[in-house]
Amino acid sequence: MPSSETERRARLPETVPLHARPAGEFVRAAAQFPAEISVAANGKRANAKSILEILALGAVGGTELVIAASGDRAAEAAEHLAGLVPQLA
Amino acid sequence: MDGESRNGFVGLVLVSHSAAIAEGLAELVAQVAGPSVRIVAAGGGPDGTFGTDGGRVLNALQEIAGPAGAVVLMDLGSSVLSVRAAFGELPKETIAQLRIADAPLVEGAIAAGVTASTGGSVDEVLAAAQEARTVAKL
Repeated sequence: MPSSETERRARLPETVPLHARPAGEFVRAAAQFPAEISVAANGKRANAKSILEILALGAVGGTELVIAASGDRAAEAAEHLAGLVPQLA
Repeated sequence: MDGESRNGFVGLVLVSHSAAIAEGLAELVAQVAGPSVRIVAAGGGPDGTFGTDGGRVLNALQEIAGPAGAVVLMDLGSSVLSVRAAFGELPKETIAQLRIADAPLVEGAIAAGVTASTGGSVDEVLAAAQEARTVAKL
């Protein structure tokens, strides 16, 4: 099922807003996957592979992110990124 | 390591009227994009004044050129003219490795640096830089 869609939720650490450096790390991780991946927070949705869109989410520490992936290796991508979010520093 | 990054990742050249802007932005992009992306700052006039230095821009382009390619970002006005003039001095093979981004300098450089750090191609890095024209901040 190469085109399955997967959604995962993950919370940023309380002290880590999704600002430039952690956002860069997140985007690098997302870019390893061929899947289409989006991140939603604060009623906005961003392409997980675009740092400018990720930064525009304005996600502060403790925000819950909704990661949705579709296409090739979607489940693996969503799982990996959801695991990464609480580890961001 | 340097040789590896030179071949593997797209590089960036940052051209500004201010040496401090170009160098500070290079540091900022390095923080966000990590150490694998080569960034050359070419800011300021010939004797430390505000302005652009065609020779410095040309040297930067020659320094960054390589098989992986590089994207040039600039602020405005004479920065653009200096980049155009420097391209006129370069051989065709070098020009083929370079792309000029029509993008806001800071936002474009951040986007380009991160995309370069993912291993993106020179055209993907160019597209990321130019996306900065349309992505809203708020």
